[in-house]
Amino acid sequence: MRHLFKLDNQEHAVWLTWRDGRYFLLIGDSEQPVALEGAGGRDRLTVGNVTVPVLAAVDGDDIHIHVDGITRTLRYLDPIRHYAAHSGASVDDVILAPMPGTVVQAIVSPGQAVARGDTLVVIESMKLETAIKSPRDGVVETVHVSTGMTFDRSAPLVTLAPATGA
Amino acid sequence: MTKPFSRVLIANRGEIAVRIIRTLRRLGIDSVVVFHEADRASPAVQQADQAVEIKGSTPVAAYLDAEQIIAAAKSTGSEAIHPGYGFLSENTAFARAVADAGIVFVGPTPDAIELMGDKIRARAFVESHGFPVAPSAIEDDDPSTFNERARAVGAPLLIKPSAGGGGKGMRIVRDLSLLDEEIERARSEGQRYFGDGRLYVERYVENPRHIEVQVMGDAHGNVIHLFERECSVQRRFQKIVEETPSPALTPELRVRICETAAGIARAAGYRNAGTVEFIYGNGEFYFLEMNTRLQVEHPVTEMVTGIDLVAEQLSVAAGRPLSVSQADVAVTGHAIEYRIYAESPAQGFTPTTGRVLRLGLPEGDGIRLDLGIAEGQRVTSAFDPMLAKLVVHGADRAEAIARADRALADFALLGCETNAEFLRRLNADEAFGRGDVHTGFLDANPQIAAEPELEPATLARLLATASLLTRPVRDAADAVPELHAAMGAWRN
Repeated sequence: MRHLFKLDNQEHAVWLTWRDGRYFLLIGDSEQPVALEGAGGRDRLTVGNVTVPVLAAVDGDDIHIHVDGITRTLRYLDPIRHYAAHSGASVDDVILAPMPGTVVQAIVSPGQAVARGDTLVVIESMKLETAIKSPRDGVVETVHVSTGMTFDRSAPLVTLAPATGA
Repeated sequence: MTKPFSRVLIANRGEIAVRIIRTLRRLGIDSVVVFHEADRASPAVQQADQAVEIKGSTPVAAYLDAEQIIAAAKSTGSEAIHPGYGFLSENTAFARAVADAGIVFVGPTPDAIELMGDKIRARAFVESHGFPVAPSAIEDDDPSTFNERARAVGAPLLIKPSAGGGGKGMRIVRDLSLLDEEIERARSEGQRYFGDGRLYVERYVENPRHIEVQVMGDAHGNVIHLFERECSVQRRFQKIVEETPSPALTPELRVRICETAAGIARAAGYRNAGTVEFIYGNGEFYFLEMNTRLQVEHPVTEMVTGIDLVAEQLSVAAGRPLSVSQADVAVTGHAIEYRIYAESPAQGFTPTTGRVLRLGLPEGDGIRLDLGIAEGQRVTSAFDPMLAKLVVHGADRAEAIARADRALADFALLGCETNAEFLRRLNADEAFGRGDVHTGFLDANPQIAAEPELEPATLARLLATASLLTRPVRDAADAVPELHAAMGAWRN
């Protein structure tokens, strides 16, 4: 079956199969045999007929990978949860922190109607204040942070109630 | 040689605490570190002979708490305190309090810290001894003649508010006919930002280089220099890459700048490792400031001279003479340091956080990695984002750059984004390869910070690794009978 991974805000569909005693990975219309062998330290990854060293760590749905001199984090999009997200709460409803920092002021409160561009939360990072603005018109469902709280990058700050009618 | 101390406390954290422990171990000296709870899993705490917990309202506050640190030194029977860099390393009151407690401060005399810590006094001191400072005019000296004195400084010049900082209210003047007008504007800006319209003016060096000289002095009046370091590649006024020798200096200039630095240290009766920083441009150099401590980028000097600066610091702190004379200091090859930060260069160098899940470290000839974090540790915004320093040494600059390319590609930290890929792009940049850099280099070359598209083969490798490590993806492949699997591959 088809699986989705998210990388740098882009979704990539893959299809892994097992036959003739090995795995094959289908990406787009190209299929290649793949294998991952661990021997402590760096693993050996084979795609097609080329083997390279790879270092990886799995943390929940996140897979952190270092290969070809670059490091990226891929997120596995669970088919069930992914479907649920598309039918109900959209990703656009959750406003995430663009960088780690501290909350200077949470401007809005739950139940409050906001317009696109309204300031939801003011954060401070690297000694600079940044206003986090609403991406659309809507109603605030949850405010995840309070004044003085510190947070990591991509931490949820505010959730808007799902858009209706659209 | 007998060891200078039997036990030393390190009042610092991260990579510099680890680096100091390494020399202490080599010399057979017991090491004690102080640590805040946030650093319990750090390599410094794991490697020290003893680790004493200190508390603070914030993690940084703990490392700035002189009282707790001195108490820890006393309770562990430490004979000396090494402050590393940052934190309390240039704090006169701390240096005095350590001495008053009967403990040796591994650093200069409090008077030297005080002199060099006051930028105006330091500048006046250097100028009074006949060393070059940027031509300048200070309004307070005589307000009635300020405009004439400013004109005499010559163009291009920089007008700064006396009360200023952070670049606010600074104006560059390239055309002296606009000087009076620009002075009035700077004055009104200074008034608006700082409530103080007093100004000063200094010669502005276009696209300057930052070149500094390592010096080392003892309590017997000996001062030597250990040549220069070029630190021009910076972001937000913080250094990213440092190297020695500087690609910009001719042999004659190198002698002049290094002897100037040693002369300044000698005039100040300087004891300890120190760094004299200069602005260099158009063939001229001016004193900027002197740092009275071990510098972050000291390893490049160690790599080319083979001298352990921490060992020398300990030795002179114990009252011994320098173990080397100027004639003994020789440079072999070329060394470059790359600072690995928890930050996202493509997003304006904003800091990143996360838990270190796995580390893959470069090794090989000419590679030194000063690392301050361990697997399992959290990278938070509580501390400076520098995680490690990669230092490479080669027979020449080209070999050092080639080795760095390999080492930066091999450096893997999973769980928190770092600037390692950016450093590799910078290292491969043509202008950097020619040594053609200045302090505004990264602002003038934003393409180096931008993240390039992934190669299709690399994308396939990422997806293959992720697929093979994701349970549901593998389970689905294992569960499907082979015939369907074969069909699946042909379906849309």
